Order: sequence, then structure tokens, then C-alpha cells
Amino acid sequence: MAYQGGGGHDHGPSPALYPVSPESLFTCRTHNICMVSDFFYPNMGGVESHIYQLSQCLIERGHKVIIVTHAYGNRKGIRYLTKGLKVYYLPLKVMYNQSTATTLFHSLPLLRYIFVRERVTIIHSHSSFSAMAHDALFHAKTMGLRTVFTDHSLFGFADVSSVLTNKLLTVSLCDTNHIICVSYTSKENTVLRAALNPEIVSVIPNAVDPTDFTPDPFRRHGSMTIVIVSRLVYRKGTDLLSGIIPKLCRKYQDLNFIIGGEGPKRIILEEVRERYQLHDRVRLLGALEHKDVRNVLVQGHIFLNTSLTEAFCMAIVEAASCGLQVVSTRVGGIPEVLPENLIILCEPSVKSLCEGLEKAISQLKSGTLPAPEKIHNIVKTFYTWRNVAERTEKVYNRVAGETVLPMDKRLERLMSHCGPVTGCIFALLAVFNFLFLTFLRWMIPDSIIDVAVDATGPKGAWTNQYPYGRKRGGDNETSKTR
Amino acid sequence: MEDELSFSDIYGGRLALQRRYYSPSCREFCLSCPRLSLRSLTAVTCTVWLAAYGLFTLCENSMILSAAIFITLLGLLGYLHFVKIDQETLLIIDSLGIQMTSSYASGKESTTFIEMGKVKDVIINEAIYMQKVIYYLCILLNDPVEPHGISQVVPVFQSAKPRLDCLIEVYRSCQEILAHRKATPTSS
Amino acid sequence: MCAQPVTDTPETRWQKVLYERQPFPDNYVDQRFLEELRKNIHARKYQYWAVVFESSVVIQQLCSVCVFGVIWWYMDQGLLAPHWLFGTGLALSLIGYVLFDLLDGGEGRRKSGRTRWADLKSALVFITFTYGFSPVLKTLTESVSTDTIYAMSVFMLLGHLIFFDYGANAAIVSSALSLNMAIFASVCLASRLPRSLHAFIMVTFAIQMFALWPMLQKKLKACTPRSYVGVTLLFACSALGGLLSISVVGATLFALLLVSISCLCPFYLIRLQLLKENIHGPWDEAEIKEDLSRFLS
Repeated sequence: MAYQGGGGHDHGPSPALYPVSPESLFTCRTHNICMVSDFFYPNMGGVESHIYQLSQCLIERGHKVIIVTHAYGNRKGIRYLTKGLKVYYLPLKVMYNQSTATTLFHSLPLLRYIFVRERVTIIHSHSSFSAMAHDALFHAKTMGLRTVFTDHSLFGFADVSSVLTNKLLTVSLCDTNHIICVSYTSKENTVLRAALNPEIVSVIPNAVDPTDFTPDPFRRHGSMTIVIVSRLVYRKGTDLLSGIIPKLCRKYQDLNFIIGGEGPKRIILEEVRERYQLHDRVRLLGALEHKDVRNVLVQGHIFLNTSLTEAFCMAIVEAASCGLQVVSTRVGGIPEVLPENLIILCEPSVKSLCEGLEKAISQLKSGTLPAPEKIHNIVKTFYTWRNVAERTEKVYNRVAGETVLPMDKRLERLMSHCGPVTGCIFALLAVFNFLFLTFLRWMIPDSIIDVAVDATGPKGAWTNQYPYGRKRGGDNETSKTR
Repeated sequence: MEDELSFSDIYGGRLALQRRYYSPSCREFCLSCPRLSLRSLTAVTCTVWLAAYGLFTLCENSMILSAAIFITLLGLLGYLHFVKIDQETLLIIDSLGIQMTSSYASGKESTTFIEMGKVKDVIINEAIYMQKVIYYLCILLNDPVEPHGISQVVPVFQSAKPRLDCLIEVYRSCQEILAHRKATPTSS
Repeated sequence: MCAQPVTDTPETRWQKVLYERQPFPDNYVDQRFLEELRKNIHARKYQYWAVVFESSVVIQQLCSVCVFGVIWWYMDQGLLAPHWLFGTGLALSLIGYVLFDLLDGGEGRRKSGRTRWADLKSALVFITFTYGFSPVLKTLTESVSTDTIYAMSVFMLLGHLIFFDYGANAAIVSSALSLNMAIFASVCLASRLPRSLHAFIMVTFAIQMFALWPMLQKKLKACTPRSYVGVTLLFACSALGGLLSISVVGATLFALLLVSISCLCPFYLIRLQLLKENIHGPWDEAEIKEDLSRFLS
């Protein structure tokens, strides 16, 4: 046995092994959705939590959702998370930065098997950095399935690497049914990068779980505290922090900094702390788990975000939800995220950020800042996963009504849309992919692939039975705590 | 009571499932694959010999031909004796345990017995196998140290690899017996 | 909700915000879509003659390599007496040394804090060591075939031209590597000369040509651009003249190369500049313009 699903333990008697007739799934407006991305738990990040939360809310709305990702160390095979969310950890080689290597073909047999056995109707890929997501899109189009892609990041146009990745994105998205971006800036960026018709790009923001980020005024420090929670890397503007901290600490004697996160730029902050003797005023907490973020946030009064590029900044929404005054750089999609009375936007320079922080401090001292509870009540209405799921569902409904380009149209589109050289190369690859698929269909016809037992969805075996909450996802450290 | 049902394996080949109900607490399931067909045997032999003859015309060494004959004979023997399993049997007896027998094409039999006290449960699990995702039946064994843990997972019908409908048949019968055992606890 | 509630009148203007539920579909495209798109904001406008002037650095270096090759050929043929070359080189070096200080009125020397005594010492040490080792240099590559030596020298001189610091801010530039390659080529070629004195003088000449001359050029270019143009022209002419005395075809090709680099390439650069389409917008990664190292030093 190559890879054992579930590892055997915490498997009770499987209650649900009754075959489901596939026709019943297509009757109502529910979809069988397959989320594909290289990034999923146990890896941590924005994309991962987006996929997880969106899937949970879609399951709640009666859809069948499965997730396909690559194996993380010992975690391979098939796992179930909360509410019967099924995750396939495929044994594919990881190449760089948790992204799998792509040959455009080697993943076809396995992905096709999964798409067929789960009776998937819509493939939803996430993140343009994920090779697996693009592979899945490519295969899904060959198989005639509907495709949706969510872009979570912004890209420039200046350097050579972005020229190449943008070309690949053009190829990948030119025949995708619908694209979702997380902010309007991200939409503009994606439309330009992939030369798309803006009508097929929807903007659906990320969300935060407001119940996870509640204010707690009693845990606040007595003196003024500025909180920073981000990875300490160049793109998050950690270098700016090294200028801001000494400047403000000199000016305000009762100011403290709490910095959560880890990264290669941590050494700079440590040097600053050393040089200006700020050990008692600047606390470096190191890497934080997602569940600890709230406990760090509520200790402060002001949240500072110094990102240099950001498609949709979850951190500032989380901070505002905890009742903090947010000071942030005006980059990417950040100006769209919070209304002006909740955020102070600055230019990405030490001077401008210090001015913004001083403004926040003076408001804090004069007591004109709204109460944390009030801010929380405002923010919690902005972004909810239920709303995101609702809007994503609309996209699915729209896509389900569309037709998938047949092979000849697809080739034509590739050649006309992606330039003469790239277009022809990828059209050829698409033909090879189609031949490979035909070969696989001949080797293992769809009819001898077992239909998987649904854990979720309209005929879901798990959603209704066994109310005592099966502990299959016992190792799922991120299940929602409602 | 005895009946025979026809199923297919994950490659689409035919499988026959024989069920023998000796008593409410003792059942036997026997999965038999089709025997080695003469056609495939001839095809393999011909291919090997043709290849050997081709090599022979190239290097004109008669050792190759004799080696090819030996290789086919030894290969066939090894295949029949160690690889090709004709029949897999699962015998489950309420008060005793579970016995799994696989009979090779040569007539060799290997038997594993698990006493009932060690059996925690019989389940159907999913796994990624080669380029497929398949269901398989397996027996969970109790961990002697930790009462709720599982020490080992023993897959059943490993070589036949039947499809889900067949597994469900066996699974249901096994569950009936296991439920029966739980209803009347025996000292084991 | 903090902002005013959305009214469902058709006049409601679309806003580029995410926190408000707007009465538009998610894939709505407003007229303001891409209004923040900017093109070519950092594109430089080039003046033709300025580019030609800048290209003179490349010309100079090409000519240096050419002159070096010509001198070596004369030495190899025995048409040029080593004493004469040594004398001329020494005289030119002394003139250059004086000029180097005169050009900026001793500003550079004061900044670097290097004394004349130190200069003299390093020059003496260098000359003594090269002289002492010149018999070794002479026999160093005896076991290597002459063709290999020529091929190696050509590659090394090409490498010298590629890695030379022409003032571009690129990763490939490495003046140390460039100089080393040139010296290596000169050692290779010197070892094929008739006597060890020839070898010694060839290596000394290479140092003057590839290490000292570019330094003087840089200073000339910075202080007196006019005279620099003159010097470049003179140098190019002398290189061409030298080459002409050896091979007419070679000289013609070399002249064509020089003209295309100094005249045609700038022309194409300016023409291609029109096709530039660099896209900028709010999605670009912000740059930190300040110098943040002062907080750490």
C-alpha cells in the first residue's frame, strides 16, 4: 500500500459507505467543488485559511467540497477535517517554497482519478504561485470541467521574473471560466497581467472571523503600546520599522512596541534594540500561531502595518476588529479595506509613518479615539466568511451556466491570445494532454472508477448523522472554535 | 448457506466472491481471481523468445537462447509460486478471530490469524495507490499499551483489490458479526 | 455600518471600497477601472550626442585591447625593440602620473591619503618582482601548445571586455575579474615572446594599459570632458593606424565596429526607447527611498 489514508488511527467504523448515485447531485443548484492549491494546512498563511474557511462555509450552504494539495512531510493520503471536509494530500515532489514541480502532465492521472471519483463539476484553484493550481486548471479544461481561479497576490511588471510569470498566467487564465480577486487593485493587476476581459473577473474580498478577534480593554498595557504583527521580511517593510522605532521612542518616553512574527529581517530589529537600549520597551515575540495573534493584538492601542505591497491586508482587519487604531502604508489594496475613520494611511517612508503614528498617539492622549468595542462592532459587519461564500456561490452558479470551450476552440484561443510562440507551444501541450487523457480513459474507463462516498454535500453522510462530532480531524489544529 | 456473486477489481478484471454462512457467528468470504490464462502465458513466452532470438541474430551467441529458456521457466515458477494469488479467503468466527488465507497459483497457501481479542474493528479506508485512489478493507488491531489506540492496520484482499461494492458486502457481514460479539461479550 | 447606508438608487456611484456592500455585481467594471494606471514614468529620455559621448568608454577599452595586440605582434615579429617600448611606456606613465594629480588639483590624493612614497614603493616592488620572475614567465607555458595560448588569450581579452566596469550598475560588472583576465592574457602572450626581457616588458606594458590607463581616463572624463573626447579620438586613430600597418581587412572591420558602437547603437537605443511600455500602478511594490542604515550605524 503506497500511502495509507488517514493513517488508520482515529478511524471508527466507517458509517457512510453507501454508494451515491451521481445524478442526484446535479439536480439542485449545488456544486461539487474541488479546491486545488499547493498551500494548505499544515502550512500557515492567508491562502490556507482562505481555502479552509471558504470550504467550511460552502459545506454549510450544502455544497460538496474537497481540497487537493500536496503531501506535507508525513501527512499524505486522505484526511478529513471539521464537518467532513476531505483533503487529498497527493505525493507530489515539492520543488521550491512549498510549490510543487510542474511538468504539466505527471499529475494528470491522479487528478483525473480524483475528479472522476468525486464527481467534481467545478475546479477552484488558488494562488498564482502554486504550480499545482495551474496544473489542475490545465487538466480540468482538457477534461471539460468548469474552472475558477482565485488570485491572492500582486505582481509588478518591471523585472524579468514577473515578465515570465505573467506570461504563464496569461496562458493559464486565457480559457478559465471565471477569476476571483481579493481587491479592486488586485483585479486591475490581474486583468493587466493576464490580458483578460474584466467582465470575467469578480472581486470578493477575504474575510476574518470576527468572533476570533474581539477586543479586551482590560488586557491593554497601561502605557501606550504599538503592535506590529507580520512576517519580518523586506516586503512587509521591516526596514521601515528600524527607522520608526528609535525616532518615536526618543520622542515619547512612555511608548512601547510589541512585535510578533519571525523572518530574516529580525536581526535588524534586534540591532536597533541593542543600539538604542530599548530592551524594556521593544518586545520581540518571534513566530506566532494564528490563535495567539488575538492575544497579542489586544495588548496594544495602535496597530502598525508597514507592508510595501499587499493585495488585501487581513492583518489590519484583524487589528481593527480587536479595536485598535490602525496606521498603515498606502500600498496595493489597503486603501479599499477600511473606511477612513478607522485607518490612518501614510506613504511608505519613515517620516510619513511617524507623522501618522504621532497623529494616532495624539488622538489616543486626547481620548478622541472611539472605544474598542465600538470599532469592533463596526468592523465585524464588513467581512464575514458567510458573505464571501455567498458571493463565491454566485460565481459558481454563473460558471455552471457557461460552456467549457471545446478542444478546437481552446486551441484557437490559446494561439490567438497568448502570442504566436507561447500560444503554439501551449496549444501543442494541450493536444498532448488531451491524447494522454484519452489514453488514460482507455486504460481505466470512468465506469470502473469507484464513486467516492460523500462526507458533505446534499447526500452527505456526515452532515446529518453522528451528532457527537467525529474526531477524525483530531489533528486539525485550526478548526474553528465557535 | 452459500452463494456466489460477481464483482470487478479496480482494473476492471472479474472477481468472484463466494460467501459461506456456516452459522450466525461464523462466515467465510472467498475472493477468487480468474486463473492464469493460456493466452497471456503464451504471449509473454513468445515475446521473451522473440527478443532473445533477435539478440541472438545480432551477437550469434547460443547462450542467449538457452538463457531465455531458463529465464522463462524460472520466471513462470517464481510468478506462480510467489506473486500470482488465485484466491483470498477471509474467515471470521465470532468467538475466535479472523483468519486470512491467500492461495497462490502453485497451490502454496499462506495464512494469517488474528485473534478476536486483538481486533478493534473492521473498516473501509481510502488510500492513494500508484496513480489511483482506492478503497480497501482493513482490520484495526488494538494497542496493548493504550486502550484506545491502534497498533496496526492489516489490509485485507491485498492482491485482489476489489471495488467498493464488493468491499461493502464483506464489510456489512463483518460488522454484523462484530456487533453480535459486542452484544454478547466473551472472555478472550 | 459606519458609512452611510447604501441606497439603491441608480445614481449610486460605485466606490473603490471593499467594506461596503454595493448594489453592483461582483464583476462590475466601472469607468474608473484602471484609472491609476501609469506608463513609463521612470523612462529616461536620451540625447543622441550624450549617448555617443558615453559610448566612448567602450571605444577606449576596445582600442586598448587592439593597441595591446598590435604591440605584442610587433614585439613577436622583432620589429619593436623592448628597450624602446620600456622607455616610452615609462615616460608616458610619468606624464600620466603627473596629469592624474594635476587634473583635480590633488583632491583625490588628499581624500585617499596615499603618499607619493607609497606609490613609488609599490611601483618598485612591482617592477622588481616582475623582472625577477620574467624568466619563469618565459618558460611557464612551454608545455602548452601555441594555439591553446592564443585561444586562451582571446577568451581572456573578451572576458576583460565583458566584465569591465563601463559605469553600468549591473551584477556582471567586476573590475577585479576584468583586470585579472587581461593580466592573465598578457602573461600568456608574453610567454611566447623571444626572450625573458620581452616578457617582462610586455607584462609591464599590460599593467600600464589595463590598470593605469583606465584610471586616468576616468579622471579625464570627469574633469575635462572635451579633452577626453580628443584623447579618445586620438587613441582610436592610433589603434586603427597600428592595425592598418598589420592588416588592412582587420583595420576596416575594426573601424566598422567602432563606428557601429559609437553611432549606430545609440541611434537604435533611442529608436527602441519609443517602443517602451512600462506599466505602473498601485500594485507596484513600494520602494524605500530613505537611507535607513543611519539608524543602525
